[in-house]
Amino acid sequence: MIKEEVQGATEEEQQAQSKKALKKQQKEAEKAAKKAEKQAKLAADQQSTEEDDFAKDRYGVSAMVQSQQKLDRALVKVEDLTLEKVDQLLWVRARVHTSRAKGKQCFLVLRQQQFNVQALVAVGDRASKQMVKFAANITKESIVDVEAVVRRVEQKIESCSQQDIELHIERIFVISQAEPRLPLQLDDAVRPDGEGEEEGRATVNQDTRLDNRVIDLRTTTSQAIFRLQSGVCQLFRDTLTKKGFVEIQTPKIISAASEGGANVFTVSYFKTSAYLAQSPQLYKQMCICADFDKVFCVGPVFRAEDSNTHRHLTEFVGLDIEMAFNYHYHEVIDSITDTMVQIFKGLRDNFQTEIQTVNKQFPSEPFKFLEPTLRLEFQEAVAMLREAGVEMGDEEDLSTPNEKLLGRLVKEKYDTDFYVLDKYPLAVRPFYTMPDPNNPKYSNSYDMFMRGEEILSGAQRVHDAELLTERALHHQIDLEKIKAYIDSFRYGAPPHGGGGIGLERVCMLYLGLHNVRQTSMFPRDPKRLTP
Amino acid sequence: MALRELSSLEKYLGLKKPNKYTTQGDRKVPVLQNNNGPPLVGLVTVACHLVKESKRPELLGDGAEGRAVVQQWLEYRVTKLDGSSKEETRAILKELNSYLEDKVYFAGHQITLADIFMYHGTHSLMVDLSVQEREQFVNVTRWFDHVQHVRGLRHHLTPVAVLRNRIYTSRHH
Repeated sequence: MIKEEVQGATEEEQQAQSKKALKKQQKEAEKAAKKAEKQAKLAADQQSTEEDDFAKDRYGVSAMVQSQQKLDRALVKVEDLTLEKVDQLLWVRARVHTSRAKGKQCFLVLRQQQFNVQALVAVGDRASKQMVKFAANITKESIVDVEAVVRRVEQKIESCSQQDIELHIERIFVISQAEPRLPLQLDDAVRPDGEGEEEGRATVNQDTRLDNRVIDLRTTTSQAIFRLQSGVCQLFRDTLTKKGFVEIQTPKIISAASEGGANVFTVSYFKTSAYLAQSPQLYKQMCICADFDKVFCVGPVFRAEDSNTHRHLTEFVGLDIEMAFNYHYHEVIDSITDTMVQIFKGLRDNFQTEIQTVNKQFPSEPFKFLEPTLRLEFQEAVAMLREAGVEMGDEEDLSTPNEKLLGRLVKEKYDTDFYVLDKYPLAVRPFYTMPDPNNPKYSNSYDMFMRGEEILSGAQRVHDAELLTERALHHQIDLEKIKAYIDSFRYGAPPHGGGGIGLERVCMLYLGLHNVRQTSMFPRDPKRLTP
Repeated sequence: MALRELSSLEKYLGLKKPNKYTTQGDRKVPVLQNNNGPPLVGLVTVACHLVKESKRPELLGDGAEGRAVVQQWLEYRVTKLDGSSKEETRAILKELNSYLEDKVYFAGHQITLADIFMYHGTHSLMVDLSVQEREQFVNVTRWFDHVQHVRGLRHHLTPVAVLRNRIYTSRHH
């Protein structure tokens, strides 16, 4: 009895179930039919539209450029798209910065380096509806070739660098397609701090930028920074070459630390170990001993300092100078400061566009300097600081906050962002620094400052082997390891001096930026080894 | 601290005979045992008494309004300024800076006990400020520098160096 009941129940259940299943099946079948119908319709539509599309040869994704053909086609630079080119039909290769479709039109902003231009695809006798749709769907940052007519615009286009014209696109081909999702948006990456906060717009933090450096480097700001940096190197070389300097190349793998052993990278070198050069110091001096008279060197230098600050990197580009002088090391200071002034002038006169581009995102006052460059003595600086309430000893080195404060005091008093601080206490300088003949507590050494931060450290070097040995012993340096260096002074060495400048710091401080990573293309610091 | 401040005040007021003080409780509240009356307890109470004794009532403020303002700042000093945390001091300095924007002294045009009290209260803060911060709170700094140079007032406290020109806000815009 009980069994039957149970059976009955299950039968009923089964029946119900099968009913349900049937319904479900039916529904699914209907759905599938509908779907098929839709697809058929879509396909038919597509076919018909494809057939209808009179412009189908005027757009599309190009085959990968594998150098199949040598097209005799001139690509005009975005920078050159000005009123002079109005009504010309020409080809441009650029990135799609943004695109927005509006009915029968699609507006694109095409970008090439730090320049951009507005372009337009509109349904008409040159472009079809499908072409506009295609243009609107091109992913941001894709590279496209467009053929377009340059047209004058009534109202200036404020958001673009080419404000007086726009491009009316007749053909558009994708040369390289970007993935639809970008790790960061370029517009977010150039937004000045604090701007757009009310609208809740994003800014990109530095680590995200550096993690995706390739994209970050495309921003107008980055483009301007690194063009200016290249200018600094160029001006440095040109000025020194004109002064009769010789460019030298020095080894970066060395056997002994040049300035104190604590902050050098050790690398394994076959069966022994070697160091990465902290500066070309010893080599440029040896070149002086080898009668090169005036030398300079542009290359990487390494510091194994575990300091995570806004102005320290573990690898940076050093601009090093060393020169023989006649009677007084101020000849060297004058030569270096003149070089710096030539660089500042060259940047001011030839890189105004870049400076203003950077200023848009990171506003700063224009860089000021005097001619001839202001030279203060260390003791004067200490007096200025004491007057401002800073307590410090006569032979104490300047701390970073005090350096910055001094920069402000100097700016207020002399109205310059660049000055030389001369006659540092001997105790805070490396062993090869020449002591001051008038006061043995001081030395013939100097630092140079931009906006209150050190960019160069230099000195007259000891060119006498005896005195050099004495100074090295005083600093408890193993004479065996620097034997070759000391020996190079035994066979006649001219009095000489020099200094080393950090390229990244010069760019950072000239532009009034706040972090040296902004002026290092692929920065290396204790926490960053990639990209 | 409070006892030193009171003896410094006595000297400023020109009281010949120094008083003897004791302290009371954990917070070391100063107590003055008066010869012909009950003991006076508390920094403000004792200080007001000393001012009266020196026959310089103007230090307690001119008119009813002036007196009220002085009392208000004496109160502010002992309740808000004393024992404030580091975060609070910044807010306090900001508040004082905007209050002093159009004033030479805390209560109008003459020095009062309020200035002396506030000078003692802000001294340790001012010593710790960087040059840039002193410039940020420029009105406080101006007032402070003025008060520390009033004859006989600074006494045992160290002078704070103050720059007369601004070095952080640029005039080159």
